[in-house]
Amino acid sequence: MLGEDERKRRVNGVLSAASRLADPGDPLGREARARLPAVTGLSPQGVQLGLVRHVETAVSDGEMKLLLSRAGTAPHVHVVLSANVFVGAVRALAIAVAAAPRVSVRSSRREAVMADLLVRALAEGEGPSAGVDVVGAVDPKPGDAVHVYGRRESIDAVARAAPAGVRVRGHGPGFGIAILDSDGGAAERLSWDVVPFDQRGCLSPRIVIFCGPSGPAKAFCMRLAAELGAREADVPRGRLDEEEIASATLYRETMRAAGYHIDGDSFAIGFDPSPRQLLLPPTGRHVHVACAGSPGDVTALLEPFRSGITAIGALGRGPAVQAAIALAPRARSPALGQMQRPPLDGPIDLRDVE
Amino acid sequence: MNADDTSRRALLHERARSFIERAAVGMPTNESFDALGLEIARYQSEHVAPYRRLLAARRCDIGSAGALGDLPAMPADAFRVVRVAAHSERHDVAVFVTSGTTAAKRGMHALSTTETYERAALAWGGWALAPDAPSEAVAIVLAERSGRDSSLEFMLRLFAGRFAEEAHFAIRQAEIDMEALRGACAAALRKGGPAIVMGTSLAFVHLLDRLAGRRLELPRGSRIMHTGGFKGRSRSVAPAELVAALAQACGVDERAVVGEYGMTELCSQAYEGTLRAMMGMPTPADRHGVFVPPPWMRVVAVDGETLAPVREGEAGLLRIEDLANVDSAVAVQTADVGRIVGGCVALTGRAPGAPPRGCSLAMDDLLSESGE
Repeated sequence: MLGEDERKRRVNGVLSAASRLADPGDPLGREARARLPAVTGLSPQGVQLGLVRHVETAVSDGEMKLLLSRAGTAPHVHVVLSANVFVGAVRALAIAVAAAPRVSVRSSRREAVMADLLVRALAEGEGPSAGVDVVGAVDPKPGDAVHVYGRRESIDAVARAAPAGVRVRGHGPGFGIAILDSDGGAAERLSWDVVPFDQRGCLSPRIVIFCGPSGPAKAFCMRLAAELGAREADVPRGRLDEEEIASATLYRETMRAAGYHIDGDSFAIGFDPSPRQLLLPPTGRHVHVACAGSPGDVTALLEPFRSGITAIGALGRGPAVQAAIALAPRARSPALGQMQRPPLDGPIDLRDVE
Repeated sequence: MNADDTSRRALLHERARSFIERAAVGMPTNESFDALGLEIARYQSEHVAPYRRLLAARRCDIGSAGALGDLPAMPADAFRVVRVAAHSERHDVAVFVTSGTTAAKRGMHALSTTETYERAALAWGGWALAPDAPSEAVAIVLAERSGRDSSLEFMLRLFAGRFAEEAHFAIRQAEIDMEALRGACAAALRKGGPAIVMGTSLAFVHLLDRLAGRRLELPRGSRIMHTGGFKGRSRSVAPAELVAALAQACGVDERAVVGEYGMTELCSQAYEGTLRAMMGMPTPADRHGVFVPPPWMRVVAVDGETLAPVREGEAGLLRIEDLANVDSAVAVQTADVGRIVGGCVALTGRAPGAPPRGCSLAMDDLLSESGE
């Protein structure tokens, strides 16, 4: 068992390693910028945005306390990472080193760069390099813990394969939503939540419920389109895979039939002024905006999606926002513009945290 | 909708049924597929607001279209979020809903008449499942006897009533009723004709679980029809594995296990031609995994980005044109991926080579999580 001071030291060691990757002047930071675009599909600017704005490099005392309380303890933690949101490796590793003296990390087959760089930075630093290694496959023993990030099938497969006595903590897929009752700068802030990682993160907002009449809601869509267009100039979208492209095409056609669709060069907004139900748009900078007349409408629209909601972004705490939070009480509820920068207080996704 | 529109709708249904009846038996039709398809599309462009919006957004002039393929297809997802119907709700005779555990997630397909659906389903179901017009047949249906809102259950009841002399339903309260099933098998053996066992792929997987290696005793000439696949389901079995296991469990040739490909948003279905091949009857495709559409249904694989047709044999999203879909959308754009060879469809599932999408959530994941 690790003592509290040692656990903190180990977490801070991971953050120091992450700081090196965030630093464009550091050799490891340069290597990250050179290698990550190819494996993440993000543009170089998208990688830079992730490294500079979304990699955790510091933690407050309060956050550290929560992180330690949520990390659990085990003699050996095996971490199974997902692809796409490459910065997730930092938080996953911070939680793992807080939990166990020995940590084995299995990267995604598609994106093995970030964990590799972090472990190298740890080895070169003063952090918990001993006992942290990158592995090709996890091999947990009774008493160990496995932290799995990614799709539900991946989590289930690891859980099925784990021997008795192994604790598997799955952090499954999800998506963010935003609840608005006016613009008030929301469009600009929301754009900064949509753009990172090309919206492939489990906190990425993909649905906006606008509480109010369709006129202001449509005007909000136009402003959001302008903001996403502006972000595109600085942070171009990376490449979409074949399935994302097909999903984007089908979403566009569906919204052309069902409401309105605003096409940008590298984003799209679907607007449904009188929704019978919500559509979850594909990743790759797609935002589905739907009108709601009351907090009750918000509840009814979100009910089928409640298990997938990881974050509820808003500008305030009005009745509609409260209704959404009541429906998904374990979702994070950050301010708009901060949805992709959650405090380092435990796993990104708090739905399954005890 | 005024009386003229109502009679126009009735006339289009009549023309569709005439097309189906003649094409089903290889007779020349009174008009071409595209002539009737365009006529239906024009009617829908006037009466189905979502289709009108889609045409406008695509800047598509329906009057200048020379073939149905020149027109955009209604995405299947649209049926989830808007009403796609050329008639008002008060003229609904049936509203079929997609599978799901919560009504909020269901797509709806409203029909002003089920007659055209029935004609299409029976004609091609008979082609694939009862080409020998068996006498003394017994239907064993892995579905509830009631259940009014599923097009699949509607079709299964229709087949049970038309292709068999008696029907047994072997699902009760969403569970396989083994006692009813054994009784049905015994009844089929007594009767002497073949059993036609029908149900969803998932229901058959549960049946295999319940049988746990034991066999069902069925009369000679029995056949099985399964449908639905496993999209969004908590259990899944590879199609070839399911066919082999069903053949083994029911003591039939693997070719007597026939897959159906259809969806709630369509009125027509495609089938594997394996049973026909086994019986020495003509079929454009004789192997599992390749579905033969009826002559009033055209399936085209299209590019996922441009929606333009891809070359024969290349994988693409399946666009389905169905002349029986008079009331809703004569062309439906699905998210299914397949290859078209000789007019037949080889389903390939999701986009080939698509990598997992990390921790973002897709609609399918949500359906899966809710256990649909």
